[in-house]
Amino acid sequence: MAKREIEEINAGSMADIAFLLLIFFLVTTTMDKDQAYIRNIPKKVEVSKPVDVEKRNILAIKANNQNQLMVRDMIFEDPNKISDFVLEFYKTNEKKNDPTNNFPMYSRISMSAIDQNIAAIEAEIEQMEEAGMKADIVNFKYNQLDEWEKKKRALKLYGDNELPEIHVQANIRIEVQQATAYSIFAKMQSEIEEAIFELRNGECERLFGMPYSVLKRRFDQDKKAEDQAMMDLLEILYPARIIEVTPKK
Amino acid sequence: MSKFKKDGSRPMPGVNTSSLPDIVFMLLFFFMVATTSKENDPTVKVESPVGTKTTELTPYKQRSEVDFLYLGEPRNPMRAADFKMGYALSLDNVVQPTVDGLYTTNAVAQWKKDKFDQKPSRMTAPIEAVITCFKADRNAPSGLIFDIRKELQDINALTIAYAVRDNGNI
Repeated sequence: MAKREIEEINAGSMADIAFLLLIFFLVTTTMDKDQAYIRNIPKKVEVSKPVDVEKRNILAIKANNQNQLMVRDMIFEDPNKISDFVLEFYKTNEKKNDPTNNFPMYSRISMSAIDQNIAAIEAEIEQMEEAGMKADIVNFKYNQLDEWEKKKRALKLYGDNELPEIHVQANIRIEVQQATAYSIFAKMQSEIEEAIFELRNGECERLFGMPYSVLKRRFDQDKKAEDQAMMDLLEILYPARIIEVTPKK
Repeated sequence: MSKFKKDGSRPMPGVNTSSLPDIVFMLLFFFMVATTSKENDPTVKVESPVGTKTTELTPYKQRSEVDFLYLGEPRNPMRAADFKMGYALSLDNVVQPTVDGLYTTNAVAQWKKDKFDQKPSRMTAPIEAVITCFKADRNAPSGLIFDIRKELQDINALTIAYAVRDNGNI
């Protein structure tokens, strides 16, 4: 019998199969990424009386059921102006405190003051541990100690004699009503984020000579300690303390 | 000078399609790599508002540290009247009966707890750190978001995210 030639496999339908797969993936997948603002809900605690906050330390951004906007009792139309108000809130007293205006004060802390505080808290922790206090309270003190250590690192990085800090109670409040459209709520978040980004970006360029977005991306990828210190410094200079007030029924 | 002489007698050669599968496979692989699979198609209509300077959720998604809940008008217009202000909450494609009943049924808290229990064992994040992402329609009332927030606060699921569409940051 003659040797039979092995026939070649017909690959003509390969393209059809690949097309089929391609179309399947086109239909079941999406290009857009999920983008969002990450926020924290405060932990539930029983408080007998809320702490009084000075009026100058509050930046209340409000919207009512008709989606009308108000910042610090001033009604305005254009939601794009919210970021300007936020910038004003942070920047007014940044260089020089002026008690006559209605914006949060800045404090300046020196290295020796930070060291004193660290020493004081360390002594306190030692005492507490000897006395066998509850773990919650001791942990709270440890957190405080961490904060101060962070400030110490930040000031070293800042390179100045004193570290400017906005008042601890300075906060931005988002107050909406039941029927306020989500788009307005999201716009407020967006504007606040934009203002804080601008502030941090300015300081990042001045101190480290690079845009904040670059620093942030690098930190997200590598999680290096030096980037962490830079991010901490910028967060201490311009903290984002946002309070979302639950609307009344 | 008859360089472009028409030669009617020669037949047109067929286009060689042997590289067609390669091209299509290339496209296929591109799409497989560049896209992500769709989260389930929600039973409510959601058109996100726009925003800037957002955080990307992809790394959290890869670690399955984010759950999505949808808030929008139901796709079936006949049902809209059943819901508070016409907006319905969709949890994993199940539309909750009414948002009014949220507190009595604890639907959100129950859903979130179940989700957390079903997470793969390699996930170590505590429930406080697992993001609950609101995908709300641009016209959805904010009051509903705060109702849901309250329920999440009760079970200590303290990290949330507000989804928006970010055009400048891709």
